[in-house]
Amino acid sequence: MPLSKRLVPYLLLGPGLLILVFFFVVPMYFMGELALREGTLTTGYTFNWAWSNFPDSLSGHTDQILRSFYYAGIATLLALLIAYPLAYAIAFRSGRYKTLLLFAVVAPFFTTYLIRTIAWKTILSDSSPVVDVLQALSLAPAEGRVLATPGAVIAGLTYNFLPFMILPLYANLERLDLRLVEAAKDLYSSSRIAFLRVTLPLTMPGIVAGVLLTFIPAFGDYINAQLLGGTGQAMVGNVIQSLYLNQRDYPEAAALSFLMMALILGIVLIYIRLAGTGAFMETDEREEAA
Amino acid sequence: MQKTNERRTLAAVAAAVAAIVVAVGLAACGGTTGGGNDSEVSVAKGGPVKGQLTISNWPGYIDPGKNGTVAEFEDKTGVSVDYIEDVNDNNTFFGKMQPLLEQGESGGRSIMVVTDWMAKQMWDLGYLQEIDHNDLPTVFANLSPSLESPSFDPKRQFAIPWQSGMTGLWVDKSKAPGIKSVNDIFDPKYKGKITVLEEMRDTVPLVMKGEGVDPEEATNEDWLKSIDKIKSAAQSGQIRAFTGNNYTEELTAGNIVAAIGWSGDASIVQNKNAEWRMPTEGCVLWSDNMVIPVGAPNVGAAFGWMDFVYEPEVAAGLTEYITYVSPVDGVKDLLLKSSPELANDPLVFPSEEFQKNCSTQDSPPDVEEVSDAWAEAVTG
Repeated sequence: MPLSKRLVPYLLLGPGLLILVFFFVVPMYFMGELALREGTLTTGYTFNWAWSNFPDSLSGHTDQILRSFYYAGIATLLALLIAYPLAYAIAFRSGRYKTLLLFAVVAPFFTTYLIRTIAWKTILSDSSPVVDVLQALSLAPAEGRVLATPGAVIAGLTYNFLPFMILPLYANLERLDLRLVEAAKDLYSSSRIAFLRVTLPLTMPGIVAGVLLTFIPAFGDYINAQLLGGTGQAMVGNVIQSLYLNQRDYPEAAALSFLMMALILGIVLIYIRLAGTGAFMETDEREEAA
Repeated sequence: MQKTNERRTLAAVAAAVAAIVVAVGLAACGGTTGGGNDSEVSVAKGGPVKGQLTISNWPGYIDPGKNGTVAEFEDKTGVSVDYIEDVNDNNTFFGKMQPLLEQGESGGRSIMVVTDWMAKQMWDLGYLQEIDHNDLPTVFANLSPSLESPSFDPKRQFAIPWQSGMTGLWVDKSKAPGIKSVNDIFDPKYKGKITVLEEMRDTVPLVMKGEGVDPEEATNEDWLKSIDKIKSAAQSGQIRAFTGNNYTEELTAGNIVAAIGWSGDASIVQNKNAEWRMPTEGCVLWSDNMVIPVGAPNVGAAFGWMDFVYEPEVAAGLTEYITYVSPVDGVKDLLLKSSPELANDPLVFPSEEFQKNCSTQDSPPDVEEVSDAWAEAVTG
């Protein structure tokens, strides 16, 4: 094979690689370098291999980190419980309204994330009719309000990241071979068993993708806690923002960002190992067979 | 054999990428971040009043519309003004601007409006230009005598007052008529219905006054003790949120019954039942100042703007709308004729008697330690 021909794949990879280098590798390098600096705003931050920034950035912030897990975890679970039946209905039961329904799922994206969250702030304000109804139904949190409660933050996260759960699930359900479900039923399986043993395992890739796409941004989010939450509901994103913008402890903010990234990466790897048999191993097996 | 070749090419590509990364990294990464500009402070150089002028100010801090101050200035001078309301609190604004200022840039802004202590901090870091009094004849002819020589800038070298005000209590009198003292906001019956300012130098000294401590004489321990009190009120849910200027939205929406807030915000609080009250313990006094950052373009137009807003007629129009305390002498006389009610409003023209218990806004003795404790209370 001539050299020029062998280079073709790399040339095709080129633009993607360049984007990765400039918008991922280079910023990561700067952040890493910043995380190892030491100093204050007045003395300046000097590069000093200051590894102590990493443990320092964790101390005093464990509450917010655990809280982020808790909020993002519940939001992801809620999103899954809402999205699965919805995606199922759109894929199999919506008939000619399919396009319309899919459009409805994506439509909120035409307004920016921030505006949508601020809109919720207005909708859920303490004296709004919505909150009155929730209170009459005893659904409002114990505080007698919705805003500035953990519930509001979790609801905001669920709402904002729901489409990221619906779309992969829909894409997965859509190409599900219904003949397999029929076959299960021919073999005297009940609908419930057919769903649990056929549909659910075959849609695991969609579930895995949806959970990752929802959990990761929800974990690092700070807008929902900032706008819908109150005191005692700050997430780790809010801590990083405060370290950077208010305390201007740039090295510690960078160190905490790095640790959170590593933490999420670790969790994702474990998660894919455990849950990803259907999602990621499947393709591997096929490749190996070929 | 082909496999090895491919591997080799791959390795070559990887090596090239790594080389680029290292080169870019080294090129862009000399020296330190922060530490301010060590070069001599430059004196702002004026010029003709024309062209384009960008001003950063706080929300609700100007009269908008066709007859507003900005429009009048544009009509009179032909300068095109880009007036941005992007200062919601001093710290966040500074955090946003600092990386630019460090490079000697101002993001196109010629004027920024920040509070006394922040102006001083920016000056100390070398982020501001010095102002020659000869460039601002109207300003120094009309500047109120009480503001001529503040302790943070005794010669008015870098900070020209925009407006002054008082930090005290905003109260929704239909829901919490009884709130008169700072200590009343800690009453459990208002649980979750109170906000305080995220600005440490507003909230902590006021709470300190409630404890009977004079903020101007306060020690580090006094600051930390008051922060502890605020922190536990935040953890218990007594305090609903730490806010910037957006406490006005919470009051408007009826989410809160009282807030620690600023005296002149009546124009942006759209709630007829809400009023600003002087706490029984007194208030915290401050001024916001126009400063000229390093790298400011078109300083001539910036001087033009400063002189323009110090003309008593212009300042009176501004006061009529925003109801803060004007730094311009002669505004009261003009308003006595046009709107006597405003001219006699103690929040707009406070008498010495009215402010007798108030303290000047100050920083804690050890800013770093106290700020860290405060940040921990806010993001708890």
